Order: sequence, then structure tokens, then C-alpha cells
Amino acid sequence: MQLAIENVSKRYSGDKWALRNFSLQLKPGVLGLLGPNGAGKTTLMSILATITRATDGRVLWDGTDVASRPDALRTTLGYLPQDFGVYPNLNAVEFLEYLAAVKGLDAASSRQRIDELLNLVNLADVRKRPLGGYSGGMKQRVGIAQALLNDPRLLIVDEPTAGLDPEERVRFRNLLSELSGERIVILSTHIVSDVEATATDIALISQGTLVEHATPEELLRRVEGKVWEWVVPSTELNAARQKYLIGNTARRGDGVHVRVLGNTPPVGAQPVTPNLEDAYLFRLSQHRAGATT
Amino acid sequence: MKAARILYQMLRADFLERVRRYSFLVTLAAALYLAYGVATEKVWIVVGDGYRGVYNSAWIGVLMSICCSTFLSLAGFYIVKNSVQRDSDTRVGQILAATPMRKDFYTLAKTLSNFAVLACMVGVLMLAAVGMQRLQPSASAFSLWDLWAPFLLFALPSTLLTASVAVLFETLPGLRGGVGNVVYFFAWTASLAMGVSGIDDPTGLQLLYRSTHDALKAVDPGGADNFHFSLTIGGERAVRTFQWDGIEWTGKVLLMRLAWIAVAVGISLLASLFFHRFDPARVWRKERGLKVAPAMESEPGAAPWGGASVPGPLSPLVRSGGSQFWPLVQSELRLMLKGRRWWWYAVAIGLLGGQFVPPDASVRSWCLIFAWMWPVLAWSQMGCREERYSTGALLFSCERSLTRQLPALWTAGVLLAVVTGGGMGIRLLLAADWHSFAAWLAGACFIPSFALALGAWTGSSKTFEAIYTVWWYIGPAHQIPGMDFMGTTPASSTLGIYALGAALLVSAAYWRRRQRLGYA
Repeated sequence: MQLAIENVSKRYSGDKWALRNFSLQLKPGVLGLLGPNGAGKTTLMSILATITRATDGRVLWDGTDVASRPDALRTTLGYLPQDFGVYPNLNAVEFLEYLAAVKGLDAASSRQRIDELLNLVNLADVRKRPLGGYSGGMKQRVGIAQALLNDPRLLIVDEPTAGLDPEERVRFRNLLSELSGERIVILSTHIVSDVEATATDIALISQGTLVEHATPEELLRRVEGKVWEWVVPSTELNAARQKYLIGNTARRGDGVHVRVLGNTPPVGAQPVTPNLEDAYLFRLSQHRAGATT
Repeated sequence: MKAARILYQMLRADFLERVRRYSFLVTLAAALYLAYGVATEKVWIVVGDGYRGVYNSAWIGVLMSICCSTFLSLAGFYIVKNSVQRDSDTRVGQILAATPMRKDFYTLAKTLSNFAVLACMVGVLMLAAVGMQRLQPSASAFSLWDLWAPFLLFALPSTLLTASVAVLFETLPGLRGGVGNVVYFFAWTASLAMGVSGIDDPTGLQLLYRSTHDALKAVDPGGADNFHFSLTIGGERAVRTFQWDGIEWTGKVLLMRLAWIAVAVGISLLASLFFHRFDPARVWRKERGLKVAPAMESEPGAAPWGGASVPGPLSPLVRSGGSQFWPLVQSELRLMLKGRRWWWYAVAIGLLGGQFVPPDASVRSWCLIFAWMWPVLAWSQMGCREERYSTGALLFSCERSLTRQLPALWTAGVLLAVVTGGGMGIRLLLAADWHSFAAWLAGACFIPSFALALGAWTGSSKTFEAIYTVWWYIGPAHQIPGMDFMGTTPASSTLGIYALGAALLVSAAYWRRRQRLGYA
């Protein structure tokens, strides 16, 4: 099972490129696709989910070009888009039955699958209620259930935790980890903690290009010795921001504790253990600096 | 001053949003085509026994303004009847609702922004009228007031009224969706009937009627006795002319026209009484009249997704490999019909029985005509449902969505037509009237094909609802043979055309969907 993305570019109207020469090879596991808003994550997801065609380059699923044979991938694809709707008059069972039929699943096996999925996302008790009355988080869970209907080998989830509360988010991360065994899971997000908890690989994307593809451990190693904690008076915080790359900040009794990223620490700063958010910010700032010079 | 600025900004944002849409340009093109028809003498107002006015500024102005106000009072309604809905869909409404904005202020602003869109089209036609008189070889002396007064006093009040009625329809729960689109058409035909039956009407037909009648009487007293008034498109030309110098804009006449502005403002204020101010507890989010409760996270059965553990692994999925077409047709039918109330089915069953039981053929025929009007809101969802409910990404990433889901959807639409019109079909079969049966079957295929094509191309249910209703009224309801797609007219010769039309429309829908998917 292999997904190969080879020099994929996507141009929208005029000269606006959402992706440029994006290449990646994926094997079973969870890939966390991290990037700021507007980086091209959703465009890449749409191309991989066969919703839109790449302008250049190709996507190969087990060696088959998806552009010429999209159904080779669609048969085994589970896709949870960033924004999706539901039919408000249908209940969860009817909606999933409909999508199971669209996916070509037979009635008997899909019925059992739907029962299991509704239990999995804890919607079994409200299965007969019209979807129009569901909250945002519950609709998202219906979306997760539909993505798993056909037991996909490639699962693409685009900003899946948007609309979920913290407890639901934890639950979803655990679910992704459980599912990842013999599948390729692509988790697109800008929430670093989601990736930190689940990803076996991370791809950083910015301005439509691949910045880095590495394991979380590799990314963390690269930022070792470059993260510092520094206490500054709150009145000097803005000046500090102008001078240093600052990650997280927290107000305490003795001032504002800031995480400074860089090769040279400010005077009085103490080294700290880096986390993935530090690695992400550091690598992204390096990329931006490189793009502007 | 502050209120005026808020009103201006609301109006401006709404106006810009809409004039940048294709539907605006298409309607403007249609209006200009109508003007072109006037300029090239393809559109006429015939009065009395084949008379038309000589081409002076007054006649050209009134001809174009009547065409304009008649056209925009129908097409314009469907163009602008989405301003409140859009605020709801885009969630901008919730932002506005959190401001001190008053409800009457909001509905008035929406009326004015609707009016601005329509008035913009009127403005273009006013300029076209100047060009037309310059280009018309037989046109006499030019008078800007004579030319533009009918636009200002007929077309503009009429469009303001249309703008306010659109807002009223959007605020009334029962008329907000497809029902309102159908109801408006009948209200519109009733308002035109007012004009020719002696009551002052919004488009100004009655005033024109009276004025031309008086002028014609002076020229041809006998002809005036047999007075009739018609707007002819592409018909036989009026060969005789008479001098008509325009409507005498007396104080009373002006007051009558300005009264429509007051009526429009009144309707706008009335709309504010029904406006839900984007309160989720009052917003009817379902189209088919089923009220949806607000999001239920605070309810006891809200089913939180708590706990950090995940239940055991899912059972492996067994694929039978057979065609799953009929389950999908079933699901599509369920989607079309789900949420309809018991009385919807009761009426459908009544109309079904009415096609079969009564001995009178015309009663049976009328039952079929109404039976194939009744599910219009179910058909109108075809081809555009994915757009409307944002489910496209879910569906279009599925295997063979184009070759499986689209045919299943079409089959479900045809089945709906076959079942609702089934009484007539069975009767024709039993009578072995094969020609009529084939015409009936062509109609059953044509209607969903038409809905599917319009839905796929426009991404909206409104286009089908509007065009189908007009066509239904002109064709089957008035039993005009060429336009009767239901085959109720005896010896209908258009059977082949509608069967072919159905095939072409399905192909058009398929092509559009294929284009939309970007994949074969």
C-alpha cells in the first residue's frame, strides 16, 4: 500500500498557485500535515480525495495514476472534508445508509457497519433524530462515521477536530491511532497538539510547498538547544516580540514567561526541552526567512 | 445620519455581492434582449383592431417600460429573493443580529438593496431606450421626459414593490422556500389580470390601457369599442398606427403611482413583523416545512463523545460485489420525500385517484396536470441538493458517483412522476391507447430530466421552480399543444420532441456534473 505524490501543482484562476511541485511518498501510518491557514493543505486534500485535478504532476495509488483511474482510489478512500453538510431531514442511520449505497456497499453489510460506527462515535442513542437538530460536534462525528463506512485503506481527514470539544478531540485522536495500523491516514490540521498525539510522520507545508517531511523525533532533534524560557516584564513583551521569535507566553507573578526560539538566547534565558509546536514555529520561520531573502 | 450610513453600507454590500453574480448578468442580458426585440420590432403592444402607436418618445418609452416592469416583476423576484437567506447561510445574519440593528430597519435595507439591483437593470434599459429611438428609422422627435417618464413612474415603483414582496416572502416561514416561488407566479399572473380588468396595477398596464383607449377612440371610434390590449412577441405586426402622445401625468395619476411606493414600504415593514432576526430557535432551517429544533448539545440525549477509550475494532467489511443501484434509487427517493407531511401524501393520493376513477376525461386530465405540479419541490432538489447542503465533497469522492448516483437520482425522479401520475398511465394502458401512453411516459421522463439539468447547471432549485411553474401554466394548464409536455392535449404531436428533450437534458446534466467533478 503506497501513495505517491509526484511534483503536484495546482493553479487557480490567473497566476495564483495553491501548490507548487509538492512531492511525498506515504506508507501505512498517520501523516500529520501541518501548515498555517492558506498554506495549501485543503487543496492537497482535495486532490488526494479526487475532488479536484492537479494542474501538473501526478498522484499514484499503488502505482496507478489517480487522474486516469480515480475509482481505483475511491473504492478504498475515506474522506472527511473540512466543510461538509448533512441532509437535515434524514437521521444518522438514513444518512449513512444513503452514503453506503453511493459507495456501492450492499445493504446487509452496511447495516451492521453503520450500527458499529454509530456506537463508535457514540451516536447510537440519537440515531433516529433528524440531523438538522444535531450540534456541530455531533455532525462532525457523523462525518467521521461516514469516512469509515467502506473500511478505507486511505483515510483523509481535513481539520477533523474543528467543532469538537476538548474531550471529543482526545477521543478522536485515540480513534485515529487505533485506525492507523494497516492504513494510510492523512490528518490535515493547524493544531499542533492533534498531530503531536497521533502522527508517525509530519509534513510541514507553507505557501504551497513542502517545507519538511520528517518524523516528530527528527523535527524535535533539529530544534534542540534552540528553545529558551525567558521572563520579561509585561511592559517589555512587545519589544521582545520585535526582537525574537516567540512561541508560547504565560503570565505569572514574576512577569511573562516566554518561549524564545533561536540560536542565540536573550540574556537571562534558560534552555528548555523543545516541543513540537516549537519545532513547527522554528522551521516555518526559517522557511519564511528563506523565502524573503 | 448614523442610521443613513448604516443603511447605505448594508445596501452597498448587498448590492455589490449580487451584481457580481452570474444570475444578475443573465437577467440583464435577457432584459437587453427584450429591448433589442422592441428595437427590431419583434415585440409589440397591439391596441384595438391591430393598431400601434407611432414611434415617438412616449410610445417607445411606454413600450419598453411595460416590457421591463412586466419582466422584472417576475424574473426580478426570483433574482432578489435570497437576500435574507444569504445572510443566514453565510452566518453574517448572526453578526448583524448581535448589533443594535432594528428589525424594520433590516427589512427596509433589504428591500432597498433588492430595489437597487433591479433599478440598476431599469437604468440600463433607460439608456437602451435612448439608443433605440436614435436607431429607429421611423421614430419622430426626441423628448427625454416622454421617453423616461414611464420608466420612472411605471417600472421603478413596480420593481420597488417586487423588491419588498421578495423580502416579505423570505420572512414568512411558509413562503420562504419553493412554495413561495410557485405561489409568487400565481400572484404575479393575478396582478397582471388586475391591470386588464380595470384595477390599477403595479406595472401600470391599467393606466396605459385607459390612456391608449381614449387616444384610439378619437381616431377609430368603432375600433375602440372592440378594444383589446396585448403584448405580442414575434406575432403578426400591427399595420395601422395612431398618434399617442403619452400619459397625462396629472396629480391624481402621479399619486396613484406613488401610492405603490407607499405600499412597498408598508410591505417591507410588515415583513419586519415576521422576521426571525436569525434566532436559531425560530429559523426554519428545513425547506419542507419541518421545523428543526436548535442544536441539541444541552439536551439530556445530546450524546457527548466522552471518555478516552475507543470500543473494540470494527468488524471487517464484506463486499458482495453486486450492483447496488436499486438501494441507491430507494435512498434517493427517500431523500426526495422525507420530511413531507401527511397532507402532502393525502393530496398526492387524491390526485392519483382522480386520474383513474372519474368518468369525465377532462377531470382525469386536470388531475394529472395538478398531480405533476404537486411534487415540484421534490423534483426541484435534483442536481442541486449537493450544492445546497454542502455534501458534494462527500459524494463526489465516492467510487462511480457520476455513473451510479446520477442515474439513480434520475430514476428516482422518474419513479416519482410515474407514481404520482400513475392513475392516468394505468388507464391509458388498459384502454390500449399506446400513443397517449407514450406521450404520458415521455412527460414522466421529461419533468425530472428538466429538473436535473437545471439543478446541475444553476446549482439552485429556484430556476426549475420558476420556469417549470410558468411552463406548466402556459402549456399543460392552458393545453397549448406544443407546450404541453404532459401529453394531455389530444393528438399531441410533440411526444418525440419531449422524449428527445429528456434525453438531451439528462446528457446536459451528466456533462455538467462531469465538468464539476473534474474527473470522468
